[in-house]
Amino acid sequence: MPSNPSKAAAIVAAAEADEIGYLSNPKTDMMLGIEAIHNVCREAGITTKDIEGIANPGGANSYAEYLGIVPKWVDTTAVGGCSFQIHVAHMLAAVNAGMLDIGVVVNGQAGYSRRSFPRGAAGGPGGDALGPDAQFMTPYGVMGAPSQYSHALTRHMHQWGSTKEDFAEIAVSTRKWAMLNPRAVMHSKETNPNGGPISVDDVLNSRIISWPLNILDCCLVTDHGGAVIVASAAAAKSFRTPPVWIAGAGEAIGHATMLEMKDYTATSAAASGGRAYKMAGLGPEDMEMAMIYDSFTVTVGITAEMLGLTKRGEGPSLFAGGAAGPGGSGIPINTNGGGLSFNHSGMYGMQLLVEAYRQLSRTAEDGINGLPGKQVDAETCIVNGTGGSLSATGTLVLTVD
Amino acid sequence: MPDYNKPIPIPDPFVSKPYWDGAKEGKLKLPRCTACSRVHFYPRIVCPNCGSRSIEWIEATGEGYLHTFAVQHRASGGWAEEAPFVTAYIDLREGDRVFTVLRGVDPAQPEEIMKKIGALCRIEWDKASDDVSVPYWRVVG
Repeated sequence: MPSNPSKAAAIVAAAEADEIGYLSNPKTDMMLGIEAIHNVCREAGITTKDIEGIANPGGANSYAEYLGIVPKWVDTTAVGGCSFQIHVAHMLAAVNAGMLDIGVVVNGQAGYSRRSFPRGAAGGPGGDALGPDAQFMTPYGVMGAPSQYSHALTRHMHQWGSTKEDFAEIAVSTRKWAMLNPRAVMHSKETNPNGGPISVDDVLNSRIISWPLNILDCCLVTDHGGAVIVASAAAAKSFRTPPVWIAGAGEAIGHATMLEMKDYTATSAAASGGRAYKMAGLGPEDMEMAMIYDSFTVTVGITAEMLGLTKRGEGPSLFAGGAAGPGGSGIPINTNGGGLSFNHSGMYGMQLLVEAYRQLSRTAEDGINGLPGKQVDAETCIVNGTGGSLSATGTLVLTVD
Repeated sequence: MPDYNKPIPIPDPFVSKPYWDGAKEGKLKLPRCTACSRVHFYPRIVCPNCGSRSIEWIEATGEGYLHTFAVQHRASGGWAEEAPFVTAYIDLREGDRVFTVLRGVDPAQPEEIMKKIGALCRIEWDKASDDVSVPYWRVVG
């Protein structure tokens, strides 16, 4: 008989690479990922030889080989930035089925360092020359994710009467969180010339990338490595680090290319989120904070609606007047400073996991320079990754005892 | 046409061949399922609506409606010198949707283009090479 896997496993530790952001000395994907695994094992008090299962988008075999381990469980699900939420979901199910007790979800991504790799080493343009993107999309000069996500924001403004100003509030709120996170690229003028506070006007007056998206509506492109350890409920007791329970998990794919997105103001997060809530026996009203993939401001606004945190068409309202920011009147959202202002290496779902763990385990970083820390007092958190072109989603409901 | 400096797609000689053959003649050919009668795009060997593998090709009106758009200020290759330009999704009269570069609108006035969402658009073909014609859409309504 299938059983509800809710809380059959916990995230028991989370860590990052030695340094993240814009690295002055370039590192490879593997270096960043291995640093993160090393750090997460040290934090949790285990060695890499204790790892029984390994998950990474496409690269579980390389990580296992590099570490010299022979995992008995692997997951190479690669559906973009939400892959890590889905890895955790799969690991939860596998733990519940008795297939493993301790696994690691890892990612290393040299989003910035890649620019200085030897020619050819960063990989080719990829894609399938005969696939739908190559035949029916790229002939029109579109370049990268912002050139597609912008169409979704236009449609949101048309369909729901929202404005660029509404979405700019998301960038402003997220920057305020980054200013409390010393590891955030945009923490301050000391960390980056463009760091420190921003206003709605700053967002609206920043360089246009793909109208209606300005550059301050867009995420960073940085280096990052991250890893989390997932352990069975029984094994979690033996860790010195506190468990954050995986109460609910869900996954869904809406489409691959945006050509196939029926409603540009809706993603599969409604489906993956609904399943995560159901497994957890909780609802949006029970969520005390949210970590929502913010590749772009529009991604957050739409996803918040899909997760039931507000009504359809009103996603940005959660951020109005700083409500989702530090000390705000609403639930805290994206407390690390987000992909917008903290760090976005290409697949940001790992950063979501690390921050959600730190917040719920009360190990979020303290502030510096006399600022208050970013630690909030939430005991529940909804985590939603979005991959591809608003394509796939993975949702987790995390709780602490 | 040697003066076409944009990326030229490599026509898929398998699934989408009727589409590209039609394009050469300036005709919009679309795949339609004979089981559920629904048109889909991009072309597939199985209907994404009902799962049937019985697909026929029809000649479409070449008309559709502006669904959403963006103004691209950053672009690659030959498109870089055109920026800013407008990309758009068009709801086809026959059903489903295509992506394109939109003509007949001013990229400097996105708020004005917002008012054109839902407006009638018509296809036009640019001969990119001897073998490939690329469709563009123009707001006419």
